[in-house]
Amino acid sequence: MKPLSLKISIMPSKPAKLKIIWLQGITCNGNTHSFLNDPSLGVLLDSVEFIYHPLLPCNLTLQQLVSKVPKSDILIFEGAYKGDFERAGSEMEELLIALASKTKHIISMGSCASFGGIFKEADPEHISGILFDKENERGPLKKMREKIITLSGCPVHPKWLSFVLDMIRFGKTIAVDEFRRPTELYAYLVHNGCLRNEYFEWKVDSEAFGTKEGCLFYDQGCQGPYTHGSCNKILWNEISSKTRAGTPCLGCTEPSFPKRELFATKTYMSIPAEMPLGIPKRSYLALAGAAKSFHIKRLEERLLK
Amino acid sequence: MITHQLIERIEGEAVLDFRCDKSGRIEEANIRFLHFRGMEAILEGRSALDALVIAPRVCGICGHSHLIAAARMIENAYTNAGFTFTISPKANAIREITLSCELIQNHIKWLYLVMLHESGKLLGEEPSVALKALYVSSQVNQLCALFSGQWPHSSYALPGGVTCDPTHIEVMQALKIISEVERFVEDEVLGCSAKAFEGHISSNSLLSLGGDFGKLLRQMERLELLDAGKSHGRFLVLGDNAGCIANGVRGAANSALVSEDSSQTFAEGGDTYAKNALYNGEFYETGPLSRALVTQRLGITSLYQHYGDGAITRLSARVDEIVYLISHVRFLLSSIDLSQSSFTAPSAIESISGTGVGIVEAPRGSLIHKARIEKGKIAEYSIITPTQWNLGNGTSDMLGVAQKAMIGAESIAKASLIFRTFDVCSVCTTH
Repeated sequence: MKPLSLKISIMPSKPAKLKIIWLQGITCNGNTHSFLNDPSLGVLLDSVEFIYHPLLPCNLTLQQLVSKVPKSDILIFEGAYKGDFERAGSEMEELLIALASKTKHIISMGSCASFGGIFKEADPEHISGILFDKENERGPLKKMREKIITLSGCPVHPKWLSFVLDMIRFGKTIAVDEFRRPTELYAYLVHNGCLRNEYFEWKVDSEAFGTKEGCLFYDQGCQGPYTHGSCNKILWNEISSKTRAGTPCLGCTEPSFPKRELFATKTYMSIPAEMPLGIPKRSYLALAGAAKSFHIKRLEERLLK
Repeated sequence: MITHQLIERIEGEAVLDFRCDKSGRIEEANIRFLHFRGMEAILEGRSALDALVIAPRVCGICGHSHLIAAARMIENAYTNAGFTFTISPKANAIREITLSCELIQNHIKWLYLVMLHESGKLLGEEPSVALKALYVSSQVNQLCALFSGQWPHSSYALPGGVTCDPTHIEVMQALKIISEVERFVEDEVLGCSAKAFEGHISSNSLLSLGGDFGKLLRQMERLELLDAGKSHGRFLVLGDNAGCIANGVRGAANSALVSEDSSQTFAEGGDTYAKNALYNGEFYETGPLSRALVTQRLGITSLYQHYGDGAITRLSARVDEIVYLISHVRFLLSSIDLSQSSFTAPSAIESISGTGVGIVEAPRGSLIHKARIEKGKIAEYSIITPTQWNLGNGTSDMLGVAQKAMIGAESIAKASLIFRTFDVCSVCTTH
């Protein structure tokens, strides 16, 4: 019998599953349902274990989570933060801080958790993200900033989350931007990969919604050229994106979300008030002027006749 | 003595306050919702079109219904202000396809994550993650995204139509997905063809169904709950194919008879954030069972004649709706005319002052968005969600729908399961 037990002991042991707690603040559950869209969910669940999740089967009830306040490897927080917002009778001011201080990594899941988002609008003074309040770093977890990864977006793409979970699992360093968003996901703009890019280059605007042709940046309020996110690289539901369905990018990954008048482009002397990211107005005007002076017949016609 | 039971996995939580007799039988049940976000206040002051972005964020599982309700509300405001514009049959069909997808994925998640899971737990089993159901839900959402760009939280429906302009590529992909979903429903959910399922309903042999739905019904039978959960037998549909049933009589529904009652809310000294929705001053049930009965879908209508509005009828209606919607989506996809326009631009929103009402049949029932618009800006916004009808908290002489269904249950655990047959959504109820 001895050799057998020896053999077992030298076999590489299966790595322990990462223990995750998914806690919700003021939320619509959109990130939860977006996460469930991940077609590789089964593979993901082979390597992680939800100690608590608002929808998936898990070990603890909410009541038990609140009374035990267990340790975890990763705390995912979905929804906006308000100190006196309660889950199972426990205020976020205590519960979030306690769970956060007993975990190794924190993922700020969605734009509400990251910057305050839509729900901040109801009580701007008291509602914020967990690290940022809009673009200001003054959230309740600012002392723990180094272990926070921000995944902004309304909602977050399931593959953005599973990418971060995998990076943590493999012990890799995640490079982040000034809002602690992974640069490999957020260095791209929503504009990158948009099927309407050629119309943008040649300044051909979309005359109306509901067509395949024209760029939505000039009239329809598209924020793609200055919104960080890989929506047109890692497609939504594996297949599409807002701009591919003719909807303007609404800027949902940015601290400024939600802006106002979302389906119209603010212009100044008929020039978009906000420039594509990092492009000086003078450069934009020079190129736009040149592009507009040409009439490219192909781009002015219907794509499919 | 009152026992407080925290109900979770319902898109947030609810608290049920039970008073039981000595044997544990439920004598009184109160339903409370303790979270409130103030969606209506967030909408006020904004451009009416911003509602198409804000309103879907009421709810992560039925946000698309809120989008369509908001779009219809604005369209209705245009009409009331004297503007006429048309929406092409194509745009209408696309909206109906995406909305149907939201209902299908919702019902599948409810069946597996809620009903099979919770009834199994009550029988001492530890059900694992229903990965196959989540995978097929993601397929349904993919079908939706072919037109809406993404699910959840799309804003692709605007007053005047839809933003997408699909080609046959999207339509053919969608047809393929709906066939896959149909195969899942027949192989896994029903264990037989849709036609054979109809036969099982009409021959009253649902308990011999082979699939997971048959398993659920047998679990409910073991718990002696198939016949439980009877309520008022009053049904309401205010969206498409509107109608109502009371005292066994079917009639037209008139949205002017809808009212909200906030007497139980914190604002008026009560202990919940949820307002009750009433029709003609009374509690009515909305949702799949109401839709089946009001449109007289054969199987569910005969099941109702046998069992009344007990759990077996309510559960079957939701599953039957999946079957119905799959064939409906296929019909819409097959008959769509892509040469029509996707969008007809209305006059500028700034030219609109007046009120608008938009009503949609959402997964859980009739959803109403109402607003007063002043020069294109939202002056007042009011949302009534399906769960406000079904989960209303009444008084002992006027019980809410789910409240009445829970009274008489043998235990708190069983009453809580009956509560879940209504497909509870916390975030919608208080919004």
